Amino acid sequence: MEANEILQKAAQLRSGLSTSFRDEIVKSLYTEAETIARRAVKSAADRKYDFDQKIDRLVTSPVFGLPIMLALLAVVIWLTVSGANVVSDAIASLLFWVGDQGRALFHALHIPWWITGFLWDGVYRGLAWVVSVMLPPMMIFFPAFTILEDLGYLPRVAFNLDWLYRKSGAHGKQALTMAMGFGCNAAGVVSTRIIDSPRERLIAILTNNFVPCNGRFPTLIMLSTVFVAAGFSGFTASVIAAASVVVVVMIGIAFTLLMSWLLTKTMLKGEASAFTLELPPYRVPNVWRILYTSLIDRTLFVLWRAMQTAAPAGAIIWILANVPVGNSNLAQSIADWLNPFGLLLGLDGVILLAYIIAIPANEIVVPTMMMVYTGASMMIEGPSGNQEIFNLLVHGHGWTMLTAINLMLFALLHNPCATTIITIYKETKSYKWTILSVVITLGTAILVTFLTATVARLLGWG
Amino acid sequence: MSEKIQLPTENCATCPAYTQLEKMGIKIDNFDRVIALAGNPNTGKSTLFNALTGLKQHTGNWPGKTVTRAEGGYQFNGVRYKLVDLPGTYSLLSASQDEEVARDFILFGQPDCTIVVTDATALERNLNLVMQVLEITDKVVVAVNLMDEARRKGLEVDTRSLARDLGVPAIPITARTGEGISTLLQTVAGVIEGSIITAPKRVQGTPEFQRAVNELVPMLEALVPGLPNARWLAIRLLDGDARVQKALENGELPELMARQRRAEVSFSRKMAIEGRQ
Amino acid sequence: MSILVWLIVATIGAVALFFPGYGGLAQFAAWRAMRQRELVEDALKHLLDREQEGRHATPQSLAGTLSANLAQTIKLIAQMESQNLVESRGNEIHLTPEGERWALHIVRAHRLWERYLADEARMPLQKIHSEAHKREHHISQAELDALDAAMGYPTYDPHGDPIPSREGKIPTHRAIPLTAWQAEGPARILHIEDEPAIAYEQVLAAGLRLGQVIRLIEKTPTRYVLSDGENEFRLAPSIAANVHVAPLSETEIARKGAVPLHMLSDGQKGEILLLDESVQGFTRRRFLDLGLTPGALIYPELKNFFGDPRAYRVRGTLIALRKEQAAQIWVKPL
Repeated sequence: MEANEILQKAAQLRSGLSTSFRDEIVKSLYTEAETIARRAVKSAADRKYDFDQKIDRLVTSPVFGLPIMLALLAVVIWLTVSGANVVSDAIASLLFWVGDQGRALFHALHIPWWITGFLWDGVYRGLAWVVSVMLPPMMIFFPAFTILEDLGYLPRVAFNLDWLYRKSGAHGKQALTMAMGFGCNAAGVVSTRIIDSPRERLIAILTNNFVPCNGRFPTLIMLSTVFVAAGFSGFTASVIAAASVVVVVMIGIAFTLLMSWLLTKTMLKGEASAFTLELPPYRVPNVWRILYTSLIDRTLFVLWRAMQTAAPAGAIIWILANVPVGNSNLAQSIADWLNPFGLLLGLDGVILLAYIIAIPANEIVVPTMMMVYTGASMMIEGPSGNQEIFNLLVHGHGWTMLTAINLMLFALLHNPCATTIITIYKETKSYKWTILSVVITLGTAILVTFLTATVARLLGWG
Repeated sequence: MSEKIQLPTENCATCPAYTQLEKMGIKIDNFDRVIALAGNPNTGKSTLFNALTGLKQHTGNWPGKTVTRAEGGYQFNGVRYKLVDLPGTYSLLSASQDEEVARDFILFGQPDCTIVVTDATALERNLNLVMQVLEITDKVVVAVNLMDEARRKGLEVDTRSLARDLGVPAIPITARTGEGISTLLQTVAGVIEGSIITAPKRVQGTPEFQRAVNELVPMLEALVPGLPNARWLAIRLLDGDARVQKALENGELPELMARQRRAEVSFSRKMAIEGRQ
Repeated sequence: MSILVWLIVATIGAVALFFPGYGGLAQFAAWRAMRQRELVEDALKHLLDREQEGRHATPQSLAGTLSANLAQTIKLIAQMESQNLVESRGNEIHLTPEGERWALHIVRAHRLWERYLADEARMPLQKIHSEAHKREHHISQAELDALDAAMGYPTYDPHGDPIPSREGKIPTHRAIPLTAWQAEGPARILHIEDEPAIAYEQVLAAGLRLGQVIRLIEKTPTRYVLSDGENEFRLAPSIAANVHVAPLSETEIARKGAVPLHMLSDGQKGEILLLDESVQGFTRRRFLDLGLTPGALIYPELKNFFGDPRAYRVRGTLIALRKEQAAQIWVKPL
């Protein structure tokens, strides 16, 4: 008996079967399943079942569905902003105090200035910045988000928003992959596997980066706290800061939809594929497990990754800041050289330099930026509180509200970090789409910041 | 990483007092048995996986969360098991990525036993997959998970009726709390050792379909003597399953059988050494 | 000096032109060969088309299809004869068995590609013909078999044309052009001719699609008016000739009480009767796997702000479906 003979026989038999035979197989499986299930399951009362249905009716309701969604997003972000605010200052003060002590110790031991500077002002300060800026928001955001995820709320979000995605020629499950992107864009890109249509999956991959990941949240939170909510204090300040982060997130979602639509109309022409989405029953999340996994697995993992890039970045900045060029230093010279382009985008040379150094992991952009600002002259102490950061940036380096807003937009829209780019390559197996994912995002970031800067200047702001 | 915990031995009169589960995390290079975990999405497969291996696979509540398979290990009554968590699927018939991963492993990975995790609150839907797994292999244990949810919703699940109808053991568990897990492991061990005999239920289908299947089965058996799931393979060939066709063409199927026979020899030797048979 | 420069330029030019495999000439030759192959394959398709219509192709008809002049066409026929693909008998050209095998391969490639582009790549229906036409010349038998298997051996392309099997068998279908349709009763659209493209686009623009059940309610020399019970569609007779229909089978007529799933009001229960014929391939399997099988009980449970998609409860689980998908599932309201 030959394999080929069997295959031929199978093909022959298949053409003899009525075309609906495949339907019949599944139908008989389900019919049998139905009979067996009916024999095994007795339903006593439907009380709780009704309760789940009531919740579902509420969170997807035509009237309350979208407001509830927005409110949940706002609450999670507000918790993150206000909680992070409390601990962030404390952690920063502590870490910078340790830095000062270390430097003093090295000084007392007569260790050469360049070793002290390299270790304490370069490597250590890079680490300290990353930890104090990133750790607090992540510690709050990850568990809060995971609770929503484990409850089963995310598919409801996809359900609520699907219409918008359909209009953009994309798949409703893209909303789920974007939600994953909040944690990490690389994870978001991997999760696009749930979309079966290759066209819609590519759209989801290319636009995932418009969702600010956890590495970029701290940048947004810091900027909105220090600048947007600058004139306020206490509760009002945290609400305003949270509101501005929510607005940024919404802008990101709007850009995702816009870019999906543009791609559908140009490079990835096509129609929406069949959409089926299961809305799983709600499950009570295991809070302790969530706390454990989001703190140990996610937060520490992301932080460790950030620290691995922050330490060398800190070292590079210190070296750049201490190589003399004329009567300035290398960091300053590069920043000056980048400055005209930076100003065109409503940013400045230092910010662009920071973005270039921070390509491996863009969560370290703000720390890098701070270090270039402060590292340029070693006289300035590392700022620890919001007010000091405000003073340093506004009075020391000529920042305006426009700079802050444009930096937030740039942070939202710019190119994916190296990990995400590698993941995109692994998932698409195509240089073309990988490069395009960078070009699209970076192009959007440059275009949008250029437009806002130009418009703002024409109107006489900034 | 490994920790020893004493599991409650409720619902299990025959459980020996020394019944022990040792979680081995990712230390799986040296295992005696391979167990596959299959099931619909959102049935708590990953929760069970975590409970058994002590690993911390994240368990999000949305379909498609696990796209690739995860592996971990545990030791139960002195036997080391490798546990493979397959992506959650509704079926093994389509050609989507996750279904292919699951199907390929159950068929070509030749697990010693497949645990199909089902949601007690939506059995009808879940049984569809169970029946499909039963077509492929008879070493199956059905874990009826989320018994607590079922109670919360006022549902009474009679697992004995289920086991009778399916022809394989059905064990009520709540993976989240650990309820029923030791019974499950005991049963899995029994099915592998052969002390629990299974007689899986198989769906007949329409007469014309049945005729076509019956024509192919002898041909397949002639090609690969001793093929355990010739019927299922015949159905897949009729359905035009590219993967099965490829396996037939490149001689993977005969090789698979040979591998399984070798494995059986080594297992019985191992069993003899451990003096448990 | 200048001679030297010219010599170098000439050498570089000659290398660029004559380099084996990569040079301009080699590229041109490869392009010519490819072009020639496409021409041969298009000619074979035309011959097969004609034979299936029961007529025979002539050099004139072939020249028309290929938009080439007669002299070129006759040269092409001579070449194909030397390859033992065709034989001329008088003014008629016949396919040899070898030629027919090749022609069937091309037809199969074209229609499978169309199926793939429509179902998997989700390209707009207007675009798939030209894309498939490009791809059909660049696929081997083995690749084609793999594509066929991956899609689950479809029998019809998205226009309703039968796809030849690997062995070259063509499923027959019983559809007739709308212009020849006489009966009063409902008819199902089984085939929409995709050539010429302008006519095809007009059919699509009118809102007609494969698998749709229609009635012919008016037929005059200037126009055809069709209705699907909800909307009316108007077609010029020349366009209507491209729409092929067949009477509904008896069981389908018996299910006249059926409505598409999206028509159910909130909470109204229905029993699934059948999945529309226009749902094929991967989507159909997905539907079935989710438990959307004939006989299953289903009802709409959730509706969001936009009113689309809606979530339906079937076999104890909530499944969200867009309106387009729900419209492909026929239910009997209970």
